[in-house]
Amino acid sequence: MRVVAEMALREIVRRRAVLLILLLFPLAFYLSRRGDHLGQSVRFVCLGVGWALSTAALFAGGAARSMEPRLRLSGYRTWHLFGGRLLALWTVGVAIAAPYLLLIRLDQPQVRHGAVALIMALTVAVSAPLGLAISAVLPRELEGTLVLLAIVALQMVMDPAGSASRLLPFWFSREIGTYAIDHTDGGYLNRGVAHGLGFFALLLTVVAVGAAVRLRRRPHLRML
Amino acid sequence: MNQDAWLTALTDELRRHGVDAGVTRHVVAEAASHLSDSGEPADSAFGAPSAYARAVVDSVGRARRPAGEVRLRATDIYKRYGRRPVLSGVELTVRAGQVAAIVGANGSGKSTLLRICAGLVSPDRGTVEVHGALGYCPQDGGTSDFLLPDEHFVLVGAGRGLGRDVARADGRGRAAALDWDAGTARPARQLSGGTRQKLNLVMAELGDPDVMLLDEPYQGFDRGSYVDFWERVWSWRDAGKAIVVVTHLLDRLDRVDLVVEL
Amino acid sequence: MDGRHGQWLRGVLDLCVLALLARRESYGYEIAQALDAAGLGRIQGGTLYPILLRLQRTGLVVAGWREGDAGPARKYYRLTPEGAEALRRSAGEWDGFADAVGRIFREVVPR
Repeated sequence: MRVVAEMALREIVRRRAVLLILLLFPLAFYLSRRGDHLGQSVRFVCLGVGWALSTAALFAGGAARSMEPRLRLSGYRTWHLFGGRLLALWTVGVAIAAPYLLLIRLDQPQVRHGAVALIMALTVAVSAPLGLAISAVLPRELEGTLVLLAIVALQMVMDPAGSASRLLPFWFSREIGTYAIDHTDGGYLNRGVAHGLGFFALLLTVVAVGAAVRLRRRPHLRML
Repeated sequence: MNQDAWLTALTDELRRHGVDAGVTRHVVAEAASHLSDSGEPADSAFGAPSAYARAVVDSVGRARRPAGEVRLRATDIYKRYGRRPVLSGVELTVRAGQVAAIVGANGSGKSTLLRICAGLVSPDRGTVEVHGALGYCPQDGGTSDFLLPDEHFVLVGAGRGLGRDVARADGRGRAAALDWDAGTARPARQLSGGTRQKLNLVMAELGDPDVMLLDEPYQGFDRGSYVDFWERVWSWRDAGKAIVVVTHLLDRLDRVDLVVEL
Repeated sequence: MDGRHGQWLRGVLDLCVLALLARRESYGYEIAQALDAAGLGRIQGGTLYPILLRLQRTGLVVAGWREGDAGPARKYYRLTPEGAEALRRSAGEWDGFADAVGRIFREVVPR
């Protein structure tokens, strides 16, 4: 699985344009809200990181599709393949999140940094399987990108207090954000963490099951 | 090359082509006595050992080794796409040391049959039995745009249990047999179509699978590489592999062991 | 064998070999020398022996090893009845062919 992860990482790193977007988009999100109400930029940069990594995952999933069947034939198990890819994406996610955490620490001393770090961690954890799951359902990158766009847009627009917004994968980001920025009670933190972990488990399952079905050992073939 | 070295090389070449041992001995002895009678150097009288060996093989005809055990058995394969039946009761048995060609018009289901044998597509009815490791080369695709050829080799090799350096060396060697220097550092998307197909083919043969399923892998090959490809197929046959080639070019059919027409 | 001479040779060399064997049985180097003496030039071993192998495979000649009193054992080739028949037929066809070509040339090339 290590080899799959390494190669997936190399693939992502070679796509210069994607890397640039990954690194700079969240910055654009951050700066766009910096003048605003305190801490709004923190919320936005977290969403930005989530969107950027999900998009990277979407494209990584699409690129992998042509090689996966033959890798399966070469002897890899299905979980090696999506596991390695997730590992590479999470590595990239951590590499992007770290400088932004630093930026927030330096630029916004009044927020709860531990909580912000938690948001970033959950965002990275959720974004990677989100992108892969969408690419499995919508094999063409254009449709997948539009769906991601819609998710992020809704995330920004919908009132987090309403129950419908909990269906969005990054709802935890705003919930824990409230805890971190407005220094509210621990309830926000707990609800956010539960939501984040829940979506993480859900999306991971979707990716695993999707891969298992797509790359299954077909019953008509007997290898002896 | 001095005479003894030339004769030894000739013996090796003939053996490699699967020429019967007795015939080999006679051919080499006759060449030796001709050289001692004429006093000419071997290279000018006969040319390179490999070239002379090929001429001998063409004249003598290949020793048809008795085919070995069954390596691929497809039974009663039915497949339809929507209302259109594509494969109806297709049977295919390929033994070790045999080459099977699947021929037919466009859309006749050749690629589908191969994909069913590779386990990538499920048939509506029928079974496929494979004895040994399987290698598959699609008509196109199957490569990763942003990875270097070497990285492809390592990736596929790791699946087959090969270490990095072994996989890299193996891949480069096989690429060289198709007249391609795979060490040039260019990601797959920058390779020409024919070269990318060579990458595809090398990945399929990496790790030496026992059964090879090739779907017109020579797309974009120049004439020399096309010839090299078929020479590889014959040498795999001699090495005891079972090979299935989907092709709609009919020029090699006289040398394959089975033809399945769809 | 390059050029036009080579092309002509490729067409008739096996028949010439059969013709030489019709006189008496012979071995490879001797055949090559006879072809040279007849004016066809040096025929390389790499060209001649595959032809002999093919003639063997198609049953027009048979071969046997004979111990030489001086020198190595040699593979001697002999014409078979089928070979004699094929030679007779082809030689006749060749005469007709050569006449036709000659007739065409005579019109162009003043003699």
